[in-house]
Amino acid sequence: MWARLINLALGIWLMAASSVLRYGEPARTNDYIVGPIAATFAIIAISEATRGVRWVNALLGVWLVLAPWVLGYDSAWLILHSSVIGIAMWIVTAVRGTITQDFGGGWSILWRRDPKRH
Amino acid sequence: MADELIPPGWSYNPASWAQRLPIVGLALLGFAIAGYLSLYQMGVFATVWEPFFGAGSRKILNSGVSRILPVPDAVLGALSYLADAVAGIIGGRARWRTMPWIVVLFGLAVGPLGAVSILLVVLQPVMFSAWCTLCLSSALVSVLMIGPAMDEVLASLQYLKRERDSGRSLWRAFWGLSDKRAQQQVSHVG
Repeated sequence: MWARLINLALGIWLMAASSVLRYGEPARTNDYIVGPIAATFAIIAISEATRGVRWVNALLGVWLVLAPWVLGYDSAWLILHSSVIGIAMWIVTAVRGTITQDFGGGWSILWRRDPKRH
Repeated sequence: MADELIPPGWSYNPASWAQRLPIVGLALLGFAIAGYLSLYQMGVFATVWEPFFGAGSRKILNSGVSRILPVPDAVLGALSYLADAVAGIIGGRARWRTMPWIVVLFGLAVGPLGAVSILLVVLQPVMFSAWCTLCLSSALVSVLMIGPAMDEVLASLQYLKRERDSGRSLWRAFWGLSDKRAQQQVSHVG
């Protein structure tokens, strides 16, 4: 739970960061897009049955580390800011959190062929 | 008695009222917010409540994107929330197996509504350099519904897969037509 909440806070921070820290393009638009998506998947991953979607945030974390180089951020601290948040997203994604319920094998069995029947 | 409501291999019944009513409550909350914004967009209210972002709400709610369709976008949002609430209410506590079609419809209503909400949240600052408190609240509500709704969808999909794997008609199972026999089997076992 706390890992998802930290992830959610990181997403909300990205939505607000450019106003608070007063930085401009291209980092601003990037963070306006990544922030809400990260917050969304953090919230969905709070539910145990959909805990797996947290890995979307690991991908977003990789992108936040790459974005300064791909999009050409012009200041060292902006590069650091994006990278630190990206790495933090990776770390909290790696924390699966407790799963107390059983889901009949989860989503993966939907794609598995049943060896007993065929 | 309650055991036959729990899907095989599950520790709880995702179609119980305790699981579904909170989602229905969220959908009604979303309907109230989107309904209020609709009335503003249709000119019933002259002003819109905006505690944080100044002219932000006015800018967003009167933007070109919000009028891209014949009806204001909040109206579509309100209708979607209403569809979510109705799809959340229909069916009994075993609906993951007696009415998979409504569960799948419910999932399809909740999922894309959340996706559109996030798209609109992204568009606010990127296209209009503004935020809208109630639009963000509405988006939050629709995202909060997704996780809690999906467990029931999973139970239905697993049920449909079991039916198909045992050689029965997927079509009949989807519409809940093959369940009479399943219920009889359960009552014999019980």
